[in-house]
Amino acid sequence: MLINSDKVKKASLAIPLMLALALGACSNDGQSGEAKSEDGVTTITFWHENTGVGEEAINAVVDAFNEKHEDIKVDAVYTAADESQNEKLLAAVAGGNPPDVSWFDRFKVGSWADQGALTDLTEYAKQDGVTKDAYYPFAWEEATYQDKLYAMPVDTDARMLFYNKDAFKEAGLDPENPPKTIAELEDAAEKLTIKDGNRFKQIGFIPWYNQGWLYSWGWSFGGEFFDKESGKVTADDPKIVESLEWMTEYAKKYNVEDITGFTDSSGSGEMDPFLTGQLAMHIGGNWSISGYLKYKPDLNYGVTPIPTPTGDNFTSWSGGMAVVIPKGAPHPDEAWEFVKFFGSEEGQEIYNGIYKTLSVIDSVNEKLGYKDDPIFSEFINILPNSHNRPVIPEGELLWNELSNAVDNSIHGNGTPQELLEGVNEKVNAAIE
Amino acid sequence: MNPTHVKKFKFTLAHVFLIIASLFFLVPFIWMVSTSLKPIEQVFTFPPEWIPKPFEWENYSKAIEYVPFWKYLINTSVITILSTMGVVLTCPLVAYSFAKLKWKGRNVFFAVTLAVMMIPAQVTMIPLFLLFNKLGWVGTPLPLIIPQFFGVPFYIFLLRQFFMGLPDSLREAAKMDGASELRVYWQIMLPLAKPAILAVGLFQLMASWTDFLGPLLYLTNEDSYTLSLALQQFQNKQGSEWSLMMAVSTLMTLPIIVLFFFLQKTFIKGITFSGIKG
Amino acid sequence: MVKTLLSQALLHNKGEGKLGQAANKVSTEHQTIGKHKKPKQIKRKKTKAITLNNGRTGWYFATPWIIGLLLFYILPLVASIYFSFTSYSILQPGEFIGFQNYKELIHDELFLKSIYNTVYFAVLFVPLSIISGVALAMLLNMKIKGMAVYRTIFFLPTLVPHVAIAVLWMWLLNPGFGLVNGFLDMIGIKGPAWLGSEDWSKPSLIFMSLWGIGQAVVIYLAGLGDISDEYYEAAEVDGANWFQKTFHITLPLLTPVIFFNLVMGVIGAFQQFTLPYTLTQGQGKPANSLTFYVMYLYDNGFKYFKMGYASAMAWILFVVIMILTVLIFWSSKRWVHYQGK
Repeated sequence: MLINSDKVKKASLAIPLMLALALGACSNDGQSGEAKSEDGVTTITFWHENTGVGEEAINAVVDAFNEKHEDIKVDAVYTAADESQNEKLLAAVAGGNPPDVSWFDRFKVGSWADQGALTDLTEYAKQDGVTKDAYYPFAWEEATYQDKLYAMPVDTDARMLFYNKDAFKEAGLDPENPPKTIAELEDAAEKLTIKDGNRFKQIGFIPWYNQGWLYSWGWSFGGEFFDKESGKVTADDPKIVESLEWMTEYAKKYNVEDITGFTDSSGSGEMDPFLTGQLAMHIGGNWSISGYLKYKPDLNYGVTPIPTPTGDNFTSWSGGMAVVIPKGAPHPDEAWEFVKFFGSEEGQEIYNGIYKTLSVIDSVNEKLGYKDDPIFSEFINILPNSHNRPVIPEGELLWNELSNAVDNSIHGNGTPQELLEGVNEKVNAAIE
Repeated sequence: MNPTHVKKFKFTLAHVFLIIASLFFLVPFIWMVSTSLKPIEQVFTFPPEWIPKPFEWENYSKAIEYVPFWKYLINTSVITILSTMGVVLTCPLVAYSFAKLKWKGRNVFFAVTLAVMMIPAQVTMIPLFLLFNKLGWVGTPLPLIIPQFFGVPFYIFLLRQFFMGLPDSLREAAKMDGASELRVYWQIMLPLAKPAILAVGLFQLMASWTDFLGPLLYLTNEDSYTLSLALQQFQNKQGSEWSLMMAVSTLMTLPIIVLFFFLQKTFIKGITFSGIKG
Repeated sequence: MVKTLLSQALLHNKGEGKLGQAANKVSTEHQTIGKHKKPKQIKRKKTKAITLNNGRTGWYFATPWIIGLLLFYILPLVASIYFSFTSYSILQPGEFIGFQNYKELIHDELFLKSIYNTVYFAVLFVPLSIISGVALAMLLNMKIKGMAVYRTIFFLPTLVPHVAIAVLWMWLLNPGFGLVNGFLDMIGIKGPAWLGSEDWSKPSLIFMSLWGIGQAVVIYLAGLGDISDEYYEAAEVDGANWFQKTFHITLPLLTPVIFFNLVMGVIGAFQQFTLPYTLTQGQGKPANSLTFYVMYLYDNGFKYFKMGYASAMAWILFVVIMILTVLIFWSSKRWVHYQGK
């Protein structure tokens, strides 16, 4: 039993190569950038990361589109990417073989457009008469960078004050008259809080909990985060500083470590503290509603705009998803047809109707019956006055810095003024 | 007390100690399995309940239907088996060369082999992607398999330590009989290194089996996805399908546990350090 | 013919083994007493080995790895060192900007904070993991029934997917209802807020990481299996107790393995990423107390599109780990004892 050493040597080197060829030959059709034109039908690839009902909603839009277009076929591919991670699309664009259309968080339009990674849709939109008039102002603005359209908005959200009506009754508050001013909010929160030692049996309100970002408070206090004229971030706007001072004061009053103990112990799903009655009020988003319905259909709650110091000029801020054509997409013209369809009333109605999300077109929200729903109508009413986060390449940095500033401030590491000045300095340095 | 009593007492004590410590290490696994059998409303109860009430065995059938489980299982297995084959084929050969053969530049290459482990993967990820893209491998499982056929530094290091522990006299005797270096390796050294190779194979198997970022970056066709990507599908904005996700996690983990259980003795023997040099 | 050769070789090996062990025994005695003398036998073997070897075969054998090293490791590495001098953003090549990325880093507060966090973690975690790893391995090395089951159990946490681990820990360390504080309550200690507290978040993470030392334990076990029974038998004859056996035989002879795990542990601790990232959704909360070096590097590269900056961070990390590794290698001459070599 002699082994020919030369053969072994050759084999050990040849095997990987053979494997490479074999595997390459049989699975290469998975490549995203490949053009397949048979019988005049162009297949375009659409990457998305929706699961469950969200995926059903996307597939319904795709099916409706495919039915209408004989010459274009959209192939929807679930990417398994995490919402917060973007390595996959990033690598694909950098490598020059991106999908034709991709699902995209509008929040990132600024940074990606600045990097030249998105196809400019301005001309397409002009040709086909797609204008901003149909959309909520913030949605169109968030899809636009330096006056050019880079994304087609498809859904949105908003932040509001959620309050438990039963808890209000128990604490002797009027459940039909929720707090409108900051003072009223504080007062209600105090009445709704039951503390036992350093543990909260029930807590009235936590300003920074859930959607209580500095954006939510800064705008409600009347501040502005960005100056369009100078292109600079204005995180140290006195109104924003004021809002952070108020949050910090609140943290001191109720002891931030005890509150953290509470928030860290809170469950999700059925055990969400708002559902268990442990938390009486919070700033939340419309996407939580379906969960509340699922886990506690009899929850007696209401929503109202985020309180402001003066009790008027209510506002909110909104984000949402969009569809984009990445730079280097093989079939931009066909891709645009699909993007246009997704952004149209028809596409919006299919998608948001199935997924129970808010459309960026007011008439679609009306068609879907949201304006007749006591909870949804509150959200729809605030949308025309809603803000969008600044569309700048440094959007992500600004977000992280603001969130750090809040975290540091409520933990007593520096004053709100200092911290927000720091944010300004750092982000503006990055802008330059 | 006579010596056998002392021994018995010692063993009982050891068992008690081990059982207590085991409980601590068992918690994650028990929790994973128990969650996989819970009805959805029981997942987030406080304080956590360890015994599902009632046992939802359907979670498993549901989970398998929720994602194309069998297809993903086959894909994961193919990638895992091929990449493990690659490691087992190449790493011992290279390690043997580092341990037992003298050649110009060997020490430099060995030092570089150690050094490349010190750069975080996050940095080389993009250049590597661009390389695989140039090769036309993106969208195929090749980037997850072929590099293993060219060696992995950690395994080469481990195997080198093993070969260092084998006496030179073996080689010498065989060489005296006129055997070629390759035959010495193939017919004497390789069989002796079997446990070490098994160990390295198991490490690679585990790494491939659970890899997330690699498949995420390189697989662009849903038909070629792996199980770790499937786990992601159970999470969504409206609250994740925890029970189903844990069911798939359990199904994913079981084969490796069984494998480890039966192979652990040979496996542990395989990693020898008597040859390490400072 | 080969078969006979093999069996001869194996026979030879056995003889060699006994001889070797005898020599080991002598040398270990030397080690425990004081200066270690190299047995002459080894020197002879070494010179012989050189004459027997041939350079070309070595190269042939290493060829696949040399190709792999250059292609899949050195090439991306060289790319990253070049990037560290540019404003490369993944999507755009950027410009050559010299040392500017490095200069900027010195003034980046979060960069400094992430260094502090990472060093804090490494300084506590690495020694603790060695102590508990060795202790566990010694427990698992006893010759008692059911050991395969125990060993498998201790290995389990390394097999459970990361998402599950992160969620489970948030529950266990839950300040109000978690199992850990519940237990502390029972013995009359008021537990901290763990992951929610700036002071306790890093210790919590260390605690969690210690849970996953299964892989290191496996390697320690291998090292323990390597120590010949003869030492213990000899020590028993001399009337040594457990303490003496542990500190004069087991630990000194385990030093090569401890050395290996120390090097790997340092590399791993400085590259800490997945657990804190999933735990805090990438935010490093509270108050950036869980922002680790590679987390910040990742954010710069993939979120802020500053891959050049991130590459500069990587090279600083590389140099630091390199220096530490060299220091460990250098110090190893004083504390690492090689069995019979």
